[in-house]
Amino acid sequence: MAKVQVLNVAVLDNPSPFGNPFQFEITFECMEDLPEDLEWKIIYVGSAESEEYDQVLDSVLVGPVPAGRHMFVFQADAPNTGLIPESDAVGVTVVLITCTYRGQEFIRIGYYVNNEYTEPELRENPPIKPDYTQLQRNILASNPRVTRFHINWEGSAERMEDCENVDPTSNSKVPPSCLPGKAPPLGILPDNSMDCL
Amino acid sequence: MFCSTGKPIFSVDIHPDGTKFATGGQGEDSGKVMIWNMAPVLREDDEKNENIPKMLCQMDNHLACVNCVRWSNNGLYLASGGDDKLVMVWKRAAFIGPSTVFGSSSKLANVEQWRCVTILRNHTGDVMDVAWSPHDVWLASCSVDNTIVIWNARKFPEMVTWLRGHTGLVKGLTWDPVGKYIASQADDHSLRVWRTVDWQMEANITKPFSECGGTTHVLRLSWSPDGQYLVSAHAMNNSGPTAQIVERDGWKTNMDFVGHRKAVTVVKFNPKIFKKKQKNGSAPKPGCPYCCCAVGSKDRSLSVWLTSLKRPLVVIHDLFDKSIMDISWTLTGLGMLVCSMDGTVAYLDFSLDELGDPLNEEEKNSIHQNIYGKSLAITSTEAQLSTTIIENPEMLKYQQERQNSAQANLGPGSAGPESSAPKLNSVMNGESLEDIRKNLLKKQVETRTADGRRRITPLCIAQLDTGDFSPALFNSAPILPSGSSMSNQLTPQLSSDSSPGQASSLGLRPSHDPMLTSPPPNSTAKGLKTSLLLTSASKIEPMKALDSRFTERSKATPGVTKRGQTVSKLGFSVPSSRPKDSISALKDIKTKDDTSSDSEDKMASINKNLSFSKRKPETLMDGGEVVEKRKKGRPRKDKMAAPIAQPFTQPSRVAAPPAPPAALKLPTPSIKKAFSLQVSMEPAVFLEVENEVSLVAGSKLSQLRCSRDGRDWNTLLPSSVVTAAGSSSSLCLHRFDVVAVACQDRMLSVFSSCGRRLLPAIQLPTPVSALHCTAHFVMALTAGATLSVWDVQKQKALVKNESLLTILSGADTTVSQSLLTQQGVPVIGLSNGKSYCFSSSLETWTLIADKGDSLVQCADFRSCLPTQDALVSPGPLAVMQGRNLNAGRLASRLSSTPHHLQQSMTMAFLENQLASALTLQSAQEYRYWLLIYARFLVNEGSEYRLRELCKELLGPVHKSAATAWEPTTLGLRKRELLREVLPVIVENLRFQRLFTEYQDQLELLRNK
Repeated sequence: MAKVQVLNVAVLDNPSPFGNPFQFEITFECMEDLPEDLEWKIIYVGSAESEEYDQVLDSVLVGPVPAGRHMFVFQADAPNTGLIPESDAVGVTVVLITCTYRGQEFIRIGYYVNNEYTEPELRENPPIKPDYTQLQRNILASNPRVTRFHINWEGSAERMEDCENVDPTSNSKVPPSCLPGKAPPLGILPDNSMDCL
Repeated sequence: MFCSTGKPIFSVDIHPDGTKFATGGQGEDSGKVMIWNMAPVLREDDEKNENIPKMLCQMDNHLACVNCVRWSNNGLYLASGGDDKLVMVWKRAAFIGPSTVFGSSSKLANVEQWRCVTILRNHTGDVMDVAWSPHDVWLASCSVDNTIVIWNARKFPEMVTWLRGHTGLVKGLTWDPVGKYIASQADDHSLRVWRTVDWQMEANITKPFSECGGTTHVLRLSWSPDGQYLVSAHAMNNSGPTAQIVERDGWKTNMDFVGHRKAVTVVKFNPKIFKKKQKNGSAPKPGCPYCCCAVGSKDRSLSVWLTSLKRPLVVIHDLFDKSIMDISWTLTGLGMLVCSMDGTVAYLDFSLDELGDPLNEEEKNSIHQNIYGKSLAITSTEAQLSTTIIENPEMLKYQQERQNSAQANLGPGSAGPESSAPKLNSVMNGESLEDIRKNLLKKQVETRTADGRRRITPLCIAQLDTGDFSPALFNSAPILPSGSSMSNQLTPQLSSDSSPGQASSLGLRPSHDPMLTSPPPNSTAKGLKTSLLLTSASKIEPMKALDSRFTERSKATPGVTKRGQTVSKLGFSVPSSRPKDSISALKDIKTKDDTSSDSEDKMASINKNLSFSKRKPETLMDGGEVVEKRKKGRPRKDKMAAPIAQPFTQPSRVAAPPAPPAALKLPTPSIKKAFSLQVSMEPAVFLEVENEVSLVAGSKLSQLRCSRDGRDWNTLLPSSVVTAAGSSSSLCLHRFDVVAVACQDRMLSVFSSCGRRLLPAIQLPTPVSALHCTAHFVMALTAGATLSVWDVQKQKALVKNESLLTILSGADTTVSQSLLTQQGVPVIGLSNGKSYCFSSSLETWTLIADKGDSLVQCADFRSCLPTQDALVSPGPLAVMQGRNLNAGRLASRLSSTPHHLQQSMTMAFLENQLASALTLQSAQEYRYWLLIYARFLVNEGSEYRLRELCKELLGPVHKSAATAWEPTTLGLRKRELLREVLPVIVENLRFQRLFTEYQDQLELLRNK
């Protein structure tokens, strides 16, 4: 069972100009004192086409985390516009907040982001080269997509603990640790996608 | 919604107060525990009332299917066991109001917050059944790992024992209602009964199960409320499936319930004992009390039996599409929930005409008392008292605190007052959560780690200690995702960013109707089969391409559709779900098993709405013909002889060399050339003695060397050292440690911790037998059986050559143990199991412990043990009495002892303990036993003693010179003790006047 439950994420400063930093106020609850820090990341998806354009806006360590309910504001700079394909600058994309513990991602919170020109004129005739100063970023805060993953909360040396983290339908074991980042370790199945009603 | 998924429901249990029930089963890709409101099930009006929530809470913390959910008898806890090998214990988090599960698009709020307070890990296989013992002393769980684990329900996650013996998957558990046994049924073709006294097997019943195959998921057996019968799940008789009746008297298996076409999965006795309803006009016949039992089977039918009838009262066929998995009765005995593998739950209610008149708790207790001698009256009187009006706000506060305390025990049978509505403007250090949030970014502590990474220290907004959040700290309502300020109303909050239809149909109220009364008398079988209807208001086509990014961490992003025009056309619409009008329960949204949050799939899943038919059980009665019962016995007296108490044996611990001189009563240590002694570990203090080390001018000198924390000192003595002792206090601020040595010439010398001589050499009357130093006290026990104690600091004798002859009465009684307490009280343990201490104030020997005392063995104060610091505080009393003092372990084997006798024995024992702790000047033990004693008095309702105790602790309110009342005892302030006793008193509402009286006086004194 996950030791950390995310209770709420409030999107601050939204909508806002494209260049403003992202601000998420994250409230989470922890069942017991965590010996290690949590690592939170904000990932901006530059293009739906490819993960190549994903940008990790920032990552922070959060700790120490004693048992209880906590909150913090995670602020990260706006994406580097130079890394966004021009064709994808305007329109809908996604921002992700992920949290890892001992290098294992256990929750992924995604939001749709709509980047639009506020000026009607620009909307009608968007420039070929996107004018980021005129773009407004609107995060669809009311519809977070939360995916939770089973991970091994104990130290990797811990005995048998990973047994309970194995999805009952699969026989694969959770690797004691996996690379933070994109390559997903095999065998980790997303669980409890909360939005599947 | 859980029921809506159509996933199997494996377990159902109605809360003792009848206002809610829990279900457990398979969720989307985890196990699921849900808590439902009972009112919409019972009353059609409430069902239609959109303001009455149906679902109260859902927990998907179990990683795999939940096989069993059970409420504790006091209703404070819910235990769940699942395929993830875990047992979780849940507790309601009061003061936290409704909240949604973050990210759940349903926006369905958890009206109540239940949080996992303990995870019990021990099983190595799926947990199939869990059961709370009467009084919630233990929680038992059984598993496919062939074992049963008994957990200490007062001290989770402590384990009491394993019950090993089954050779197959253990699939059902039931406690004997009087707590003497627990029974289990397993796939190994056996039903076993275990004793709670020693946790050994009492009986292994195999015959009725020899033909059984392991085809049922569960084997939930049940014990009748009078304790006389145990009814098994799946058994076979002449190749037909039955429910075997096992008689308590000799575990005979002569009867069974016959008629089901497939294996019996679950048997559940009605908690009430009934007697025949007296017809108006007819002559009252003294009918024999009987029990009522429901049997559910794989054949999808349910039968209900009265032990007074040869045929079933009712048989309901085809109630479900799949096997029945669990049954739960309401405490009133008139309603029943049945759940099935098909994902539905049915409610049945019965009338008094059908079942008979339920005996009240008093009558039930008197039946128990007649049969077993031991009464369960303690809890039941409390249950009755729960309806008592609470007169005092302090009392109410205590009651609520007690309910909230994770370790609360022996609570009233039904829940007390609902916890107050969440405070929405609660504060934190005078600051509201809103204020904190405004400045959080500025205020939060951010540092850089050594490698230059950002590190944020999160702001703790609520502590998690006992599993509850402090009411003052947390603004209970969830924070709006938009970050806007929280309003006082919950409904607007929930509807804030979703369609209005949703808000109204799922409208929430902070608390639900207090309702508890018996259901309407008409007999309707109401299916809970309903469904949550969802429609998609809109789709967001282009986002599909991005959807995978929400859930997958993989590179694979195949089949990406171009987004572009569609987006602009559709604009930025919010996918929302809007349940249509829904009835009490729901069924069948088959959502895809994959986890991609494909909005289209989710939104489009529309469901059938199963309306349920209201069927009269009368019409189903004809099903009864298939069932036949062979014979029925009456409840009988339990003739089991009470086991004989084991004779007490005490290993003699005479450590000293044998054969003391005839004139001397006590043995003396022999003189060695050299010896060393470790006084303490921390700090490390060693004494080394070397006798006759040097010859100076013809006289032999002996050397005493002391090493303390690396600092050494030594001194010379003119005679050989016989024995040495030292005291070492590691944490004392005003350390006054001493070292004492007794020499062959009967001289006793005392040195300071630095080797300075503190007392002139003391001449002992006879050679020394034992020497002890504690703090600044020195105790010498001589071979002539005299005892002396000196206070070195004050240079005074506390005990002067006191003879042990008074206590060494028996012919071969010797001293087996001697010690000196921190307060300088000498304690002597004798080989006959008795321990004495010399009270210098009373100037006499006092008996403080007698291991052979029958009171020790019979006193039953288990129910009064404190929950948190349940370990007996280590003190001289505990040392002398031994750790085997096990809260009346032996008591339960004397369950034939009349309750009042046991009560008196326990009371006498506890008072002895108090007096002993007092004379030993052991303050911590005194406090420990005082609280147990107070709790015992409260439980037993001994008002006079309780009042006297309070009076003594309170003392005179108005000072006068004449009073001899001491404000402290053993350094403990009596009024502080009273403050600790008051919350104990409050546990029994009967004493609320007493509570108020002393609470007021304490307040008065405080203000003075």
